Amino acid sequence: MPEEILLNVNHIDAFHGSFQALWDVSLTVKPGEIVAIIGANSSGKSTLLDTISGLVHPARGSIEFEGQDISTLEAFKIVNLGICQTPEGRGIFPDLTVLENLILGSYNHKARPKRAQNLQEVYQLFPIMEERKNQLAKTLSGGEQQMLAIGRGLMSTPKLMLLDEMSLGLAPILVNELYRILREIRERGITILFVEQNVRRSLTEADRAYIMEAGRVVLSGTAAELREEEGVKKAYFGA
Amino acid sequence: MGILLGGLYAVIALGLSLVFGVVKEINIAHGDLVILGSYFGYVAMSVIGIDPILSLVIGIPLMFGFGFVLQKYILNRAFKISMDATLIIAFGISIILQNVFQLIWSPMSRGLTTSYALSSVTAGPIRVPLAYLLDFIVAIVVMLFLREFMRRTYLGKAIRAAAQDRKTAHLMGINTDQVYAYTFGISMAFAAIAGIFLGLTFPFTPVSGMSFLIIALGVVVLGGMGSILGTFIGGIAFGLAQTLGGYFFGLAAQMLVAYTMVLVVLAVIPRGIFGR
Amino acid sequence: MKTTFPRLRGGLIPAIVVIVVLALFPVMGIPRQWLLYLFLFFIYLAMSNMWNLLAGYSGLISLCPAAFIGLAGYTMTVMTWLGLPYYTGILPGAIVAALFAVLISIPVFRLKGIYFAIGTLVVPEILRYVFLLWRPVGDVIYGRGAGYTVKGVSAVTQAQLYWFAFAIGIASVLLMRYILRSKLGTGLAAIRDNDVTAASSGINVFNLKLGSFVISAFVTGLAGTIFYIYQGYIEPASAFSIRWLITIMLATVIGGEGTEEGPIVGTIIVVFLYFTLARYAEISLIIQGVILVGIMLLAPRGIIGTLRKTRPYRSLLKLATRR
Repeated sequence: MPEEILLNVNHIDAFHGSFQALWDVSLTVKPGEIVAIIGANSSGKSTLLDTISGLVHPARGSIEFEGQDISTLEAFKIVNLGICQTPEGRGIFPDLTVLENLILGSYNHKARPKRAQNLQEVYQLFPIMEERKNQLAKTLSGGEQQMLAIGRGLMSTPKLMLLDEMSLGLAPILVNELYRILREIRERGITILFVEQNVRRSLTEADRAYIMEAGRVVLSGTAAELREEEGVKKAYFGA
Repeated sequence: MGILLGGLYAVIALGLSLVFGVVKEINIAHGDLVILGSYFGYVAMSVIGIDPILSLVIGIPLMFGFGFVLQKYILNRAFKISMDATLIIAFGISIILQNVFQLIWSPMSRGLTTSYALSSVTAGPIRVPLAYLLDFIVAIVVMLFLREFMRRTYLGKAIRAAAQDRKTAHLMGINTDQVYAYTFGISMAFAAIAGIFLGLTFPFTPVSGMSFLIIALGVVVLGGMGSILGTFIGGIAFGLAQTLGGYFFGLAAQMLVAYTMVLVVLAVIPRGIFGR
Repeated sequence: MKTTFPRLRGGLIPAIVVIVVLALFPVMGIPRQWLLYLFLFFIYLAMSNMWNLLAGYSGLISLCPAAFIGLAGYTMTVMTWLGLPYYTGILPGAIVAALFAVLISIPVFRLKGIYFAIGTLVVPEILRYVFLLWRPVGDVIYGRGAGYTVKGVSAVTQAQLYWFAFAIGIASVLLMRYILRSKLGTGLAAIRDNDVTAASSGINVFNLKLGSFVISAFVTGLAGTIFYIYQGYIEPASAFSIRWLITIMLATVIGGEGTEEGPIVGTIIVVFLYFTLARYAEISLIIQGVILVGIMLLAPRGIIGTLRKTRPYRSLLKLATRR
């Protein structure tokens, strides 16, 4: 059983200062899946990702990755274990060049020896990154910055990628392209957990999804199930 | 000559600028830490008998280690408590240092008086104390070194990254606490260098730290937080201002001119010329 | 903050008794040492309270109390040199300090947080240099700067000095109490919490901060003049010295920034330290520095602040408030 589950979030509570952002949240992710966390703005979805990444420590409950408890680990150690997050707002270093950003992606010890190889793969997926490699990151367009963020995540040789609001502020064409790339990334064996506000899109791309509201998981299931679910239809599709 | 003096100020300010730009703390104790470097040179010279510049071979790693430990165990914790806490703690460290100096070495002013420190160099009509020239050269060397370091090494890049976006740096596997400790260590290494050259150029007392701190602060603010070139230019600006002030208003007023300039700079350009 | 009022209700009578007793000390034949101790205590208490007003309640870490102390002291001294009796100089001293605060607030208030601290750090240093070079009154003594004896204070008795200090100390406590419950106080609480939010709620942040700054300057200046009347001489290095800041900061921080009782507790400890270590000036300061660092790391809220969070203190509070 444990071998089938990559990430196990067990009944966690998490706080933002004195404000409780997550209440008894549980989810699982299996290797090779694409899982979505869907919810409106203050539903706690970003906090959930931050907790998994180790930026926030759960006040209660536990988080296991590949069978190992990571609830109390510092963020940089968790990256070493194979989880990477591209945060909301792209999370790139504006005053460094594209290449420098990417190189920093392989800062952790496991990824360093694979740097050249990973770089090639990233250039394959995002040829425009190679074009712009000596440009300062802040000169890139929104879409390109998001690609850079993903590329940088890939440089760390992750097993699990967490993406926070990837499509925020991007044109639909770009969003399509990004999702296509996500699917390719999955083909290469990387598991994906992403957070989105756009319900319809998320349910098209993901295998399974969790819907969050006010810090709790209110619905979960396969994408197909959720698409049919009455509540979802009414609330989000305005049926 | 003011320009050359500016070189010294640049070196002093460089460590401060680094910490300010990266860790976002203002190390009020920086001035006193530089003087620590000066006293170290003094001890090396008078007790052990080594030339102060040579003593840097030991001095730099020593100060680096000291800074590393200081940041790692004290300042990092302070930072997590609050910004004010860091300020107050840095202040406390400053007081401790000043009084330890006073205790050990008395309020008498000391200098690193080596034979060459007092000699001058003549270039055409201008006669310049060798110490000043050395200061300037050192400033350039140190700055170039820092620039290359920041560009080429992983650590250098990590430092720049952590300076720009702490959270993302974390997410990329960068141990920011560790990086900050290294940064402070480097800052202290620079302080060590600055201290020695300061001692060669000026006499110093236990409380000199404060005066140089204020000027360094002015330099950092003028040049822009975290910008190497800016710090250099800022240093030169202050060096010039001080020497010109001394020329017009008399020697005693030199510091006053410098200080007033700091205040003016603070009021007018809080972001600095090259600031991010 | 509001709960301390009912607590005092119950303890109002003991407080009045204490105050009256303290006031009568000089005539009760209390030994000189004690009077001196209390004298300094009240002076520093006033200064700490004012520093607390700025750092603990207004979010302004001001590193320039020495500026106000020195300026007020000099004003008072200059007036004695102009032939006026010493007590006429007290109020003008404080006023000068307050005016100076208004003056430097123009550049300094533009600065946020850390830059503000730097700015306030520079100010006393500048003043020190100014007074090193300038002699406002009296003969020019080359190289000696503005070192003066305060004229006409030989006749001042210990008791009078004590009462001056006592008045100022108690006044500062009452002032703090009053401010914290006035509109100024609630405004400051909002600012301390979050500058920007406060501003968008219509609070005139600048005015409030300026108000605290000026009040602080005034009272600190008052305490300064009294101190210099006692000391009998003034000179730039010590008038604008950073030692004022250390002692005041330490007193406030040990007791607890942002608490009302903090400065009282802190000042007691600090003056005690001062006396015990009076002979070893440098060591005294080193210890003060160490304590400062230690407290900030281990108990950043100071004694009162940390106590507030503990159970025994809270039950004590409940007991006292039940009246």
